[in-house]
Amino acid sequence: MLQVEGLKKSFDDFLAVNGANLTVGQGEIVAVIGPNGAGKTTLFNLITGALKRDRGRIIFKGEEISELPPYDICKKGISRSYQIVNIFPRLTVFENVQVAVLSYQRRSSNLFRPAQSLAVKETRSILESMGLSGKEKSIAGSLSHGDQKILEIAIALGNEPELLILDEPTAGMSPEETQATMELVKRLGNQRGLTILFCEHDMDIVFSIAQSIMVMGHGQTIVQGTPEAIRSNKEVQEAYLGGE
Amino acid sequence: MVHLKSLGLVAGILVVLFILPLFAPRFYVYILALIYVTALLAMSLNMVVGYGGMFQFHHGVFYGVGAYAVALMLTKTSMPMWIGFIVGPAVAAVTGLIIGWFCVRLTRLYFGMLQISLGSLIWAIVFRWYSFTGGDDGIHGIRMPSLISSLNSSYYFILIILVVCLILMYMIIKSPFGSTLQAIRDNSQRCEAVGINVRRYQLGGIVVATFFAGVAGVLFVALERSVFAEMLFWVLSLEIFIMCLLGGWFTFAGPILGAAITVALRTFVGRYTEYWTLILGVMLILVIFFLPEGVMGFFQDLFKPKVKEAAERGK
Amino acid sequence: MTFGPAELICQLLVGISRSMILFIVCAGLSFVLGVLRIPNIAHGTLYMIGAFATFSITIMFAGSAGFWIALIVAPLLVAVVSLVAERALFCHLYQREHLMLLLFTFAISLILGDLVKIVWGAEYKSVSAPALLKGSISLLGASFPRYNLFLILVGPLVAIAVWLFTNKTKIGKISRAAAVDREMVGVLGINVSWVFAIAFVIGCYLAGLGGALVAPTVSITLGMDHTLIIEAFLIVIIGGLGNMWGALVGSLIFGITHSFGVLFWPQFAIVFPYIAVVIVLLLRPKGLLKSVW
Repeated sequence: MLQVEGLKKSFDDFLAVNGANLTVGQGEIVAVIGPNGAGKTTLFNLITGALKRDRGRIIFKGEEISELPPYDICKKGISRSYQIVNIFPRLTVFENVQVAVLSYQRRSSNLFRPAQSLAVKETRSILESMGLSGKEKSIAGSLSHGDQKILEIAIALGNEPELLILDEPTAGMSPEETQATMELVKRLGNQRGLTILFCEHDMDIVFSIAQSIMVMGHGQTIVQGTPEAIRSNKEVQEAYLGGE
Repeated sequence: MVHLKSLGLVAGILVVLFILPLFAPRFYVYILALIYVTALLAMSLNMVVGYGGMFQFHHGVFYGVGAYAVALMLTKTSMPMWIGFIVGPAVAAVTGLIIGWFCVRLTRLYFGMLQISLGSLIWAIVFRWYSFTGGDDGIHGIRMPSLISSLNSSYYFILIILVVCLILMYMIIKSPFGSTLQAIRDNSQRCEAVGINVRRYQLGGIVVATFFAGVAGVLFVALERSVFAEMLFWVLSLEIFIMCLLGGWFTFAGPILGAAITVALRTFVGRYTEYWTLILGVMLILVIFFLPEGVMGFFQDLFKPKVKEAAERGK
Repeated sequence: MTFGPAELICQLLVGISRSMILFIVCAGLSFVLGVLRIPNIAHGTLYMIGAFATFSITIMFAGSAGFWIALIVAPLLVAVVSLVAERALFCHLYQREHLMLLLFTFAISLILGDLVKIVWGAEYKSVSAPALLKGSISLLGASFPRYNLFLILVGPLVAIAVWLFTNKTKIGKISRAAAVDREMVGVLGINVSWVFAIAFVIGCYLAGLGGALVAPTVSITLGMDHTLIIEAFLIVIIGGLGNMWGALVGSLIFGITHSFGVLFWPQFAIVFPYIAVVIVLLLRPKGLLKSVW
């Protein structure tokens, strides 16, 4: 479904991504792992169009999307959540998700009907599946960190994506919240037929739910394979896992 | 949400305003009409600044352009007057589209600075084109359609247009377009990620706001029968900003209050002293020091602690 | 109308001489903007006070001595006014947002503007150039006003003085550091508050100096502050915020396009610099030279 080939990106003199390759099959759950500074977030930014690549190709469902702006990439079916919570703090939880849903329904530019009566069912269903129904009217900025991270993902779901990209979805969460969130993600993946691409530092999570793992280091793809293959890969062990 | 109580309050105020010309002295009718025009202008600015989060530093240009457009149509052409009334806001909106198109490619401060330079260019041209625009004399003695040629009839005309525009603005803010604009204000990066072409929406917001500024310009001409080059000068644009600040720019009606206070102060202080600018300056300093949320915000905190949460929400 | 090379060169020099006044004023504005992060709208009003003060001082003394004395005293007077304003009001607001600071300086400009009206009244004033600088000299066959020659000499002197101050004196270097990172400067144990006060006063002194220098060349009127300040801000913006050399480049662009405008289309002379500003901002929205912000 998603193919990344030879992606390169530098900022002034700093080569953030230097030859990244990634293959994500339809319906798969793929994880990207690597130490801090390996270029994972930059890779996600490149895929979603927030950054422009210097070199390389990004192909989604057979179509090259390397040069598209973020809003067009979103319309193609890719949605993302952010590592650092990137919600609409002044809007309510409901409105946060509604923005995405209205955008998906191409109704964002509607001038004539009150927004509060549109896309209600779809928004509520997303909130319910994420466990946020009770907090619909709360101001997003006032939620707990864990709830904000869940809202992060809920907003991304508003666009009915085919590929959901999650940047460290459980960063800063307690073990229980982490477990619950990843269960949720896995369940959503199955229910909605989502393809999921995520990056994480928590190796337990990665190895328990990912079907394919891509390892990054110094902006490059070291290797991509099944969990077992990665676990026994000598290069990865030396470079990253500390030679277990 | 439009509560029944506030709806009743608004209706009551409107009734009072409608019957006012029957017993109030001419001067007060005039001042109120001027407040209406200024309030519409301030509200139009708030659409892009308060709800859109853009640095619209030279909004007065669109007001002036709308006013000059109608003035020129009424004095230089023999087209029906009502056509002039429509051309004014249209020209203002087109100007907004053009200037906005250049400005939305830039962020924040640079947006504002480019707008100031483009607006000042327009001011300079109007200011010096004496033969066409009257230069720094402006244009005076513009004839109005007989339907609105008396003070009272122009008062009603202005009031009705103001109310219609306020209703339209309220609907727009509550519409998906309005929510999108506010979402862009709060987090434009996330909006792009959820499929919103941020620049296009910002441009749309600008066109809407400048359209209403143009309407305000037309209403000004209906009231004063004149246009002045000062309408395009940066000082007025800053004053409109101050009205929004004074009134509280995260509330819907805040700018109306700010406009009312400014016009009232200027008029009544001006009756006592020719140095009213100084008094205005002092009051502005006091507000900056002591009322960071504007007058509306201050009163909200004071009288309605429940509403304070909604005001906090605006921060 | 045809212009020979002599006229063109003369007009170019006239443009440069006018740019010098703009540069002096804008250097002050840019300095305050860079170090204190204050967009000081009252800067134009201080310029106006400098011009009006020059008027008063020149009529106090008979003959040309008045102008020379005014050139020294008027900017100092403006500096004192600005010091009072800074200590009494500005220093309490440094942590507020830029927009609040901008509106605050606007309020100050309204107040000072009316004070000028109270002290000097509303009529035009004029100042004549001192005897030494009256009249014109012959340059390449065309006539060139002596006063403009004087301005062309003064401009670079001020530029050098400002450069020496910011690069060679301790306070100047600290100001530059504070412009880039004020917290760090505070951490180093330097009294940031006094640095700011000094920087502010120097910036305002330059405004007063600009006003004194412009006095013999224009009618001194109320409202000259508002006309000047928008030009000054545009110049500072196209030059690069907080950048001294940027202020010079911007002033030259503004002054020279204006003077050529006077030559080719006098009625719309003022439009030329505004067009130039728009073109610069369309091509380089952040200004031509590096900005401190």
